[in-house]
Order: sequence, then structure tokens, then C-alpha cells
Amino acid sequence: MSIGEYFSSVISGTANMFHIVATEGHGSVLMVFFIGILFGGIIQYTRVDKFEKIAGFAMGKDTIVPKMLFLAIGISSIALYFAIKMGYATYHIKPMILSGLIIGGILFGASMAVFGKCPGTGPVSIAEGRIDVLVGAIGGLFGGYVFDKYYDTFFKAVMGESHGKGTLVTVAGDHATLFVLLFGIGLIIVAMAIPKMELFDDADLEKLDKEERPDQNQLEDFEVVK
Amino acid sequence: MKRRLPWWLGGILMSLLLIFTFSVFGASRPLGASTYVPYYAGILFGLSPDDYSYLKIVEKPGAWEGVMLLGSLVGGFITSVFITKTFRFSIIPTGWKVYKNNSVKSRLFWSFIGGFFLIIGARLAGGCTSGHFLSGMSQTAFSSMIFGGVVLVTLLVTGKFFYKGASK
Repeated sequence: MSIGEYFSSVISGTANMFHIVATEGHGSVLMVFFIGILFGGIIQYTRVDKFEKIAGFAMGKDTIVPKMLFLAIGISSIALYFAIKMGYATYHIKPMILSGLIIGGILFGASMAVFGKCPGTGPVSIAEGRIDVLVGAIGGLFGGYVFDKYYDTFFKAVMGESHGKGTLVTVAGDHATLFVLLFGIGLIIVAMAIPKMELFDDADLEKLDKEERPDQNQLEDFEVVK
Repeated sequence: MKRRLPWWLGGILMSLLLIFTFSVFGASRPLGASTYVPYYAGILFGLSPDDYSYLKIVEKPGAWEGVMLLGSLVGGFITSVFITKTFRFSIIPTGWKVYKNNSVKSRLFWSFIGGFFLIIGARLAGGCTSGHFLSGMSQTAFSSMIFGGVVLVTLLVTGKFFYKGASK
């Protein structure tokens, strides 16, 4: 394949990506793009895409990521339960493939600590100019290539059999509402109870006016790296 | 204008976005990010779905997440330039300089390795922070709770041993 043929195959593959979304029935291309803008905007505005936030959490120096994540899950679990009950949404449960979840979770957690990003926060960091994250994304594409290539012969067997798609709602039966409320409220309490610790990056803060700096008038535990 | 959104407001907004995405008014599906990578790797490396069955599995969710992540690039760019004022080109994160080392080679090497195994891990488990943590745990799915627990423990253990001066 010549270079020209290669680029035209990539371009037609990318055009097909938009075509799939347009005909798939999970929101128009514009709608999905708009969801992405909000997703990236919220992540960037709260700064949870930063190395200091994710690797900082791994080091035990920053707790903004777990606080925000547990709060979001706590609220969503309650709201989503009632939205599904009223017919405004449906369940999309991932199967319990035990060895896949455990081996995958170990690889994912270790990589997240070293890289300081995850698949959703990575693109946001690239958008604000982080070149190391772009290199990590290329590493990720090679990972995706290896997974595509050896799924049938290797990874599928590693993932193991599915043990169903159990949830709190399916096991709780008649008490589902109570269980979901306890789960959601419990997570909200956990989010509030985790002590707030922050690791700030001075390179980000130095462009702000003194009174705009979030490390000013901070009462909680924090540290600025320069 | 506030330059940083507090964690609680970010959490509330993220849950509103998640519920909207799940609802029939939004996309009738969960938020996710990692399926896009093997999908687009198939296009970039010229793999045919006829030869590799995984490409058939990820085609639709991968395309959806691709368009969504293109949006997140735009959203992140806009807020980094106009609101948080954090847009700048950099290679080594400040925290890496302080708690790991000052070597460009080391940071890029570990970024590549980290990105590689991040995707292998996410695909083995069937989801990532968005798909399992956010979307899965919000549906009270046991699969996502198992993944979440394993990731939390591994993340904290790795952080403690990989970086110098990490808190006990």
C-alpha cells in the first residue's frame, strides 16, 4: 500500500465513524459531539485531568478525583434508578468476567498511577498541550492494535466466562429502592468524608492573578509543586 | 470568573451529564471512552473486521466514543484557553519532576508503557473510569464494583512504590 492509499483509507475509515454514529440511533452526531464538549469541559474545568490530580491521588497527596467521582456516582445511582423505573433510560450492564476484571483492573490501576491519565482524561490533557500524554495515546493505540490482533487467540481466553450481569437492583428484589438509596447516599457521604487534599502545579497557577489562585486562602491540606 | 470548578460542583455536573447521556433525550447509552482506542487502531493499522472479530464487537460503541472524544478535545481546549488559562505545551509534568525525575526520556518511556497497558487493561475488563466507574457503578453493577476495587488498590500501591516521597 502506498502512502497516498494509506491516508485515503484512514480518511474513509474516519468518515465512516461519523456515518456509524449518524445511523446507530444513540443520538445525532451533533448531540454526541456536544456531550463530548461538556464531558471535556467539566473534566478540564475541575482539573481532574492533571497529572498532579491522578498520580497525586496514587501518591496519597490529592483526593479531588475520588471525592468528585464518588459524589457523581452517588447522585447518578439514585437518579438513574428512578429514571429507569420511569422508563426514561435503560440498563447497560457490563458482564462479570472475573479474570478479565481482576487482571484488567490491575493493569489499568498500575498504568493509571504511572501515566497519570485514564482514557477519558487523556484526550483533555492533549487538548491543553501535554505532549507526554500524546506519546501515551500512541502507546494506547499500539495497545489497542495488539488487543485487536490477539483477541481471538489470547485475550478472549484471559477474560474468562461471564458470571452474569448482576446488580444491587437484581439481587435486592422488592427492597431495590432501599438498597439503591443506601448505596447512593453512602457514596455521597464517603465523597464528603474523604479529607480534601490538593497537589497544585505552579506552572498552571502562575498565569492567574493572585486572588484567582486556588491555593490562596486554602484552609485544607495542600501542596504546590514548582 | 472562577478559574477552577470545586469538586462538588464538578461531581454534580458530571452526574447530570451522565444521566442526560443515559436518557432517551440524550443518547440512550452510557458514557465510555476506552472502546474508541481499539476501534481507531483498527483503522490506523489497516486491520479488517473480517479477519479480527474484536473489531466487529467494538465498531459501534467505538465510533460513538470517537465522536464523543473529539467533542471532549474541543471542550477541553476551549476551557483551557479561555477559563482555566492552563493551555501550554509541556513534556514533563511538574509533579513528575518533583516526585520522579527530570528526564524527558524517562517520562516519555513511562507514558508510552502506561498508555499501552492502560488500554490492554481497560479492554480486558470491558471498561475504564468512564464506562466502569462512572456508568457501571451508577447502575450498581457488581462487575464495575469489582473493577473499581481492584483499580483503587493497585493505583494506590503503585503510586506508593513508583514515586519517591509518596505519603504513607
